[in-house]
Amino acid sequence: MLKYVVNRLLSLIPVILVTSFMIYWAMSLTEGDPAMMIAGDGASQEMIEQIRHDLGLDQPFLLQYFNYMKGMLVGDMGKSYVTNKDVFATFFQYLPNTLYLGGSAVIIATIVSIPLGIYTAIHQNTWKDTAGMVFALFGTSMPNFWLGLMLIIIFALHLRLFPTGGNFGWKSLVLPAVTVGFGLAALITRITRSSMLDVMRQDYMTTARAKGCSEKRVIYKHGLKNALIPIITAIGLQMSLVITGSVLAETVFSWPGIGRLVYESITRRDIPMVTGSIILCSILMCIINLIVDLVYAFFDPRIKAQYSKKG
Amino acid sequence: MAAKKRIKGRTMFQETWHRLLKNKGAVIGMAFLALLVVVAVISPFVFDYETDVIGQNLAMKLQAPNSEHWFGTDEYGRDLFARVMYGARYSLAIGVGSVGFGLIVGTILGSIAGFYGGKADDIIMRGIDIFYSIPNILKAVVIVSLLGTSTINLIIALAISCATNYARIVRASVMTVRDLEYVESSYAMGLPTWKIILRHILPNCLSPIIVQTTLLIGTTIISASSLSFLGIGVPAPAPEWGALLSGGRAHIRGASYICVIPGLAIMFTVLALNLLGDGLRDALDPKLKK
Amino acid sequence: MKKLLVFLMAALMIAAMAVAGCGGGEKKADNAAGGGVAHKEKLVIGTDADINNLNLQKQQDAANNVILKNTHQTLVFFNNGSQGKERFVPGLATDWKFVDDTHIIMNLRKDVYFNDGKKTPMTADDVKFTLDMAMKNVIKSALAGFVKCTVKDKHQIEIEISSYNNEFIQSLSSVPLSIQSKKAYDDGVKEPWLIGTGPYKFDKWVQGEYCRLNKVKDYWGNSLPATENFAPGVSDVIEFRPMIEASARVMALQAGEIDVCVNPPISDLKFLQDDKKVTVYEQPGTRLFYFAFNVEKKPWDNQKLRQAVACAIDKKSVLDAALNGKGTLQKTILNRGLWGFYDEMPGYDFNLERAKQLMKESGVTGPIKTTLTYATGAPYEQIATVIQANLAKIGITVDLVPMEQAALKAACKDGKQNLFLWRWNEDSKVDFVYRDLFYTGSGSNYHHFADAKADKMIDDVATLKDQKQRMETGIELQKYLVDQCPQVPLYIANLVIAYNKDLKGEYFYGGGNHDWRHAYIAK
Repeated sequence: MLKYVVNRLLSLIPVILVTSFMIYWAMSLTEGDPAMMIAGDGASQEMIEQIRHDLGLDQPFLLQYFNYMKGMLVGDMGKSYVTNKDVFATFFQYLPNTLYLGGSAVIIATIVSIPLGIYTAIHQNTWKDTAGMVFALFGTSMPNFWLGLMLIIIFALHLRLFPTGGNFGWKSLVLPAVTVGFGLAALITRITRSSMLDVMRQDYMTTARAKGCSEKRVIYKHGLKNALIPIITAIGLQMSLVITGSVLAETVFSWPGIGRLVYESITRRDIPMVTGSIILCSILMCIINLIVDLVYAFFDPRIKAQYSKKG
Repeated sequence: MAAKKRIKGRTMFQETWHRLLKNKGAVIGMAFLALLVVVAVISPFVFDYETDVIGQNLAMKLQAPNSEHWFGTDEYGRDLFARVMYGARYSLAIGVGSVGFGLIVGTILGSIAGFYGGKADDIIMRGIDIFYSIPNILKAVVIVSLLGTSTINLIIALAISCATNYARIVRASVMTVRDLEYVESSYAMGLPTWKIILRHILPNCLSPIIVQTTLLIGTTIISASSLSFLGIGVPAPAPEWGALLSGGRAHIRGASYICVIPGLAIMFTVLALNLLGDGLRDALDPKLKK
Repeated sequence: MKKLLVFLMAALMIAAMAVAGCGGGEKKADNAAGGGVAHKEKLVIGTDADINNLNLQKQQDAANNVILKNTHQTLVFFNNGSQGKERFVPGLATDWKFVDDTHIIMNLRKDVYFNDGKKTPMTADDVKFTLDMAMKNVIKSALAGFVKCTVKDKHQIEIEISSYNNEFIQSLSSVPLSIQSKKAYDDGVKEPWLIGTGPYKFDKWVQGEYCRLNKVKDYWGNSLPATENFAPGVSDVIEFRPMIEASARVMALQAGEIDVCVNPPISDLKFLQDDKKVTVYEQPGTRLFYFAFNVEKKPWDNQKLRQAVACAIDKKSVLDAALNGKGTLQKTILNRGLWGFYDEMPGYDFNLERAKQLMKESGVTGPIKTTLTYATGAPYEQIATVIQANLAKIGITVDLVPMEQAALKAACKDGKQNLFLWRWNEDSKVDFVYRDLFYTGSGSNYHHFADAKADKMIDDVATLKDQKQRMETGIELQKYLVDQCPQVPLYIANLVIAYNKDLKGEYFYGGGNHDWRHAYIAK
């Protein structure tokens, strides 16, 4: 088992190599010149060329990549073209904000979704089921920014319970987390429901009831535990999504997260910032996926066996 | 001579269909989707594209829903009802197209990773992790730079994200079922791997796949709206639902119906898909065979 | 409670003044503005763009310059012309004179010192250092024509330029060219560019969240009367918060979290106008939005065809869709408010009949299919949609090609576009507009317009010394450019800004680069 974890961590290295190459290559393919973006309107051609030379952009692509990787080896991920600040430092300045937002959103989503999913599974095909479904689906059908702005109008403007945005204490976290969480809730609810339905029809459930277990115990101990694998997959998927995918919510609430950082760096063609952030994000996601896979093993001994076999 | 009673055997398809029809929710879902398809098909005949869908009339702009314009008008004075109805064509095509492609590619990758495990699993999953970690924006920007702006490219960009979702889910399900006895016995019997996967393993993964599909179509349509901000997307003035959403963003306080109505259209579509999906899952479930 | 606080503050201030007065022979206590007015400690301004770089000479973003204006000062000061007076006035320089075509003698103020805690005086060395450093940075493009700077005396410099240029002095009013401290760089201070001479200094900058400035207690100009440009600030703290989502920014103002909301979306104005705690201010702006041709690509190299298209565009509808009418329609290519602005040429107003006539005269037959490239988002999206419909009426089918800004700039520079939309914001430098947009080979000349006659007139406007001749040439140049029609200027957007009704001391510029140095929230 330990061997499995070590192997997974070691496999991060090829991931980093491939990711960095792909990002560098992707950025070099995109239309748009970082030097032009830095120079701004009204800059002369020679000034733009000067900037390109200073940044090393006039070198062949492979040479640029090689220099970048050389820097990476000593932990230097370069400086942002736009702010001139260290990429690594900037990323770690934004990272806690994203973790708070993502973490709270996933927690909120899970707390709401799993009970809701179980409830709708138990009351399948009744109006309660449909009502629960509509509630869950709402989050996935209405765009993030609409929900965010609605929450601001109601809770920040009219009720003055929370700030309209920014990063000033835990109160600023609530509305963005609810916005993002609501969007995640739909998938988790639906998967919980269908997973529970699958499990509830299994023979061992009937056996448990026949044994005289209380309904609650049947559902939670025998049912939910076995239904968990797809649910955990869904939660894990969503967790990876929130890291770079909350751009809209971050923009609406002026929340200084990584999603916004990456988005703005891409539109400004800030190659070191983009590459550095995405590599660090992918490391983060690999770690999250590793944790998810380990959690599978915890709940399903069959999978645990597979990991030990492979190792 | 005893009359041999002919027992009419039903194929699996007919059996499933029969059970599906018994499910009220599924029927409602199917009816709505059928209606949507009808609307998509006849829209060009009912509405004249030039005058009804993209014809501007600034004097009439930003009117709330009234008797003349059932859904109101947008900032250029265009009738929202015509635009939403016509938009069904684009949104269905994009939603179904992207999710469909993603489903096929993702399922193949996920099955291989989950079934074979080992090196194949490592490579595929790390590959997917890498792809996943590249934000959608960057993928979209690269696709636009390489291939240009068009609806097909939008579908490609969206299909890639869908595929990664499916791969993960299918892999997880395959892994739980893979070592069960009936699979081993199929193997022992000499069935080719792809047949084993297709006939014995995938049907067990059907639930999460169906759920994911029904939801993904909705999120895909919404993603189309944020991608249009990067220059990828159905070119204006096409009334694709996602485009209607992003167009309504500036008027959220003043004329919120511009955003809400397409959002409701998406929501009802997703609701219908979910009802149908549930019905399908129940209909296909062998345990329910009475 | 509030009343008690005000009373206490007033009592304290009177006491302070009394004590200072008792000192005898000392400088008078705090000037009227800083000491006598009851104000909220903090002024919070919600901006619409992120701050990204505070190193003055390595950036050119308006978002950064709005902040740097408070902490640094320039040789020449550019005012907003609302009083009808001369716009370029002495700043850190007291006067200047052209001793001949290429040499300028400039005298500096003697009472200025830097906010480095040591009251290091500002001298000619600092000015030379700043200008020399500028030639090595991005900001070099603002100092066109600069050759060198010589220190003549502790407070006098001589600047040499390559050839006579009417607008060289004005270029010294550019915020990135603010005077920096040579000593700070020599001493190896961390981030030496943050040290300025202004009434505020940096407290903290958290990227993506806020930038906070504190009033400088021992500011060199503390004794200047409030009416003077370099008078000390009032608010104790000024904080800039980037809030990119416009609707959220408006709501933050209404909720009292910020005191100023720049660029509120037009569709939300009615909420602000109804809000008793908020003032909405509108004035003509300087930001010009235009529709243009890539005149190197067929069929847009045909002048009559371009004029035909100009007549087909319903500018009023464009303005209506983009800004709900909050702007001024425009005929000439020069930004409103610039010296020499002339808008009375006949031009090509909206007239479908004339458009069809001109099309016939152009000799281009058959339906035309083309593309219109623009940056995604408002207002380009709205402008493009209306123009697409307009041009359809004269038989031109336009495919809309929205792009990210970076891609747009690259595409236009390479000349890949047919038709495009862009904007130009300038409130002081006339030559900048003409040269950058229309001079042959210029980097921002996305029209790829190359006309020797226009080039000559542009050079003349820059170098002619006779102001009357210069004005006439300018008018002729504008008439010529409108006729040549490499672009169709659409409208100038109004400046719209909303703020706390108790805001005082604000100083707005039509182009949006406001001056907050003396602003405060009155209590």
